[in-house]
Amino acid sequence: MEKKSLINEIKDKTELMRRDCIEMGYAAGSQGAHFGPALSCVDIVATIFFGVMDHDPKNPRMPERDRFVLSKGHACLAYYAALIESGYIPKEMISQFKGNDSILCGHPSMNMQYGIEVSTGSLGSGLPIACGMAMAAKIKKETHKIFCVVGDGECNEGIIWEAAFNAAKYKLKNLIVIVDINDFQLSGTTSEVMPLNLDALWKAAGWDVSYIDDGNNVKEVLRVLSEIKKSNGENPKVILTKTVKGKGISFMENNLAFHAAPINEEQYKQAVEDLKRAETKRRNQ
Amino acid sequence: MNNISLETLKEWSKLGHRSSFSESLVLLARERSDVVVVSPDLTTTARLINFEKEFPDRFFNVGIAEQNMIGFTAGLAREGLMPFAVSIAAFAPMRCAEQTRNMLGYMNLNARVVGIEAGCRFGPLGNTHFAMDDMGVMRGIPNFTIICPADAHEVYKTVFAVAEHNGPVHIRLTGAPGSPLLYPNDFDFKIGKSIEYRSGKDVAIIATGSVLAEGIRAADILEKKGISARVIDMHTVKPIDVDMLNKVFRENQLIATVEEHSVIGGLGSAVAEYKAGFKDAPSQIMCGLRDSFRKIGNYEFQMKENGLVAENIAENIVNVLQLSKV
Repeated sequence: MEKKSLINEIKDKTELMRRDCIEMGYAAGSQGAHFGPALSCVDIVATIFFGVMDHDPKNPRMPERDRFVLSKGHACLAYYAALIESGYIPKEMISQFKGNDSILCGHPSMNMQYGIEVSTGSLGSGLPIACGMAMAAKIKKETHKIFCVVGDGECNEGIIWEAAFNAAKYKLKNLIVIVDINDFQLSGTTSEVMPLNLDALWKAAGWDVSYIDDGNNVKEVLRVLSEIKKSNGENPKVILTKTVKGKGISFMENNLAFHAAPINEEQYKQAVEDLKRAETKRRNQ
Repeated sequence: MNNISLETLKEWSKLGHRSSFSESLVLLARERSDVVVVSPDLTTTARLINFEKEFPDRFFNVGIAEQNMIGFTAGLAREGLMPFAVSIAAFAPMRCAEQTRNMLGYMNLNARVVGIEAGCRFGPLGNTHFAMDDMGVMRGIPNFTIICPADAHEVYKTVFAVAEHNGPVHIRLTGAPGSPLLYPNDFDFKIGKSIEYRSGKDVAIIATGSVLAEGIRAADILEKKGISARVIDMHTVKPIDVDMLNKVFRENQLIATVEEHSVIGGLGSAVAEYKAGFKDAPSQIMCGLRDSFRKIGNYEFQMKENGLVAENIAENIVNVLQLSKV
């Protein structure tokens, strides 16, 4: 019973977070935003923040907190939305996304006051840092976990595999990586641009591999993440998670044009309408 | 930090900067439990065997992967440890320059990137192994401090000084085994504050790294010719010691910068950049590696080829001073 209410609570958060993403991206005006890669991982990020991670928004520097690293830093809308809905970032800051002298950069810039754990954005940078953080926890005999969201396109980067080998060598079992497989990267589908057998690659690197068939299904994501967090296997853990790029907005879903783009007033209204409709549908179920 | 014995310093000088550095690191690690070392399969090359033996749980061989070495180092630093990432200068920071900028500089982390065999010490190995442009890369990264110690004693002082320093540091190690011990006695070492090794009123020889020894010898040669040379040990190239430069601009008529680095982007550039704002500052000779790929050859050959021996430095200075009198 309790679990069902947690699922609903996270689903409520994903609704708010998708709205935040659209509001922030619209506020950026002609500068646009990376809508597609953020919306694909909203459900993953929400489940991590509101379902499995130990943290305290009133005390962002709490030493025993679980850490969150968004390696696919361009999806920062989802990250900021989670920080807003957790209470790290005040909602009034939504209008500041990508603004002059704003905290909310187009890629996360470390700022512990607002819960932004590390700076990322250059693809491949989050995972190796997360590995170092996991190693530090091991050295200091701390028990917190490090959650790191990596993109499927990001797995083109050589440094991802350098880090993957190293994490396996040092048995960083406190490291949980979620690969957001939305099947697209900037110039095409991942299979067109750089076909990779991610399953075989992560296994060959020595990681324990799990799967989520629908990474936009909170119930599924919560079930797998909770299991993995509790599991005591010796190896670092990766969850290969199939998602939909642009999830939740009709004209953005699986549409590469909205990997990174501005939206006009009409599109904004349409996006809000899509979200309202989905919320109503969920409540009537 | 204790004073180190003269015998030890002499021994380290014989062995070269890699040993001076790695042995200093062992001493530091005995005092500070937060010191950890990350290295890309260079345990023997970087003389880190003793460190690994004494601190196996604080030593990480991350394989031949410099980019991840920096990322891993950033994560360790982010969690409050004091990592030293040690590689061959030609590969770190050059190969992992972007990671160094975004992961260490941008987050202003307390990490230290150490490049051994900087300059052209790896002369016979070819241009892939020369670090002639590393300072050019690192000087452009905000928050980074760059230190090039001149001898075994200064290496030791640097290792202990950076442990107390906030922000990322690039330590650049030059020189061959058997490099002279320039500081046999205890001395004050402060990051960002150069050392006036010798006073002089005509020319100011400003050197960084082990080539300071040649600058000192050049001053001896000049003295015999009746030219008074001031010698500055500019161990910290960034931030450069502007107080000392201001003094030099006022008191000397010529500057010779001496470095085992390209004449583009290193110490010479740093001095010239600062000097550009002064109307009546002295002119400057830049002694360094020419802007070209090098012929291969041993260290001695390289230093001669590039005019980085005392005789060439002195000759250069004499020529310019004579010209200015015409």
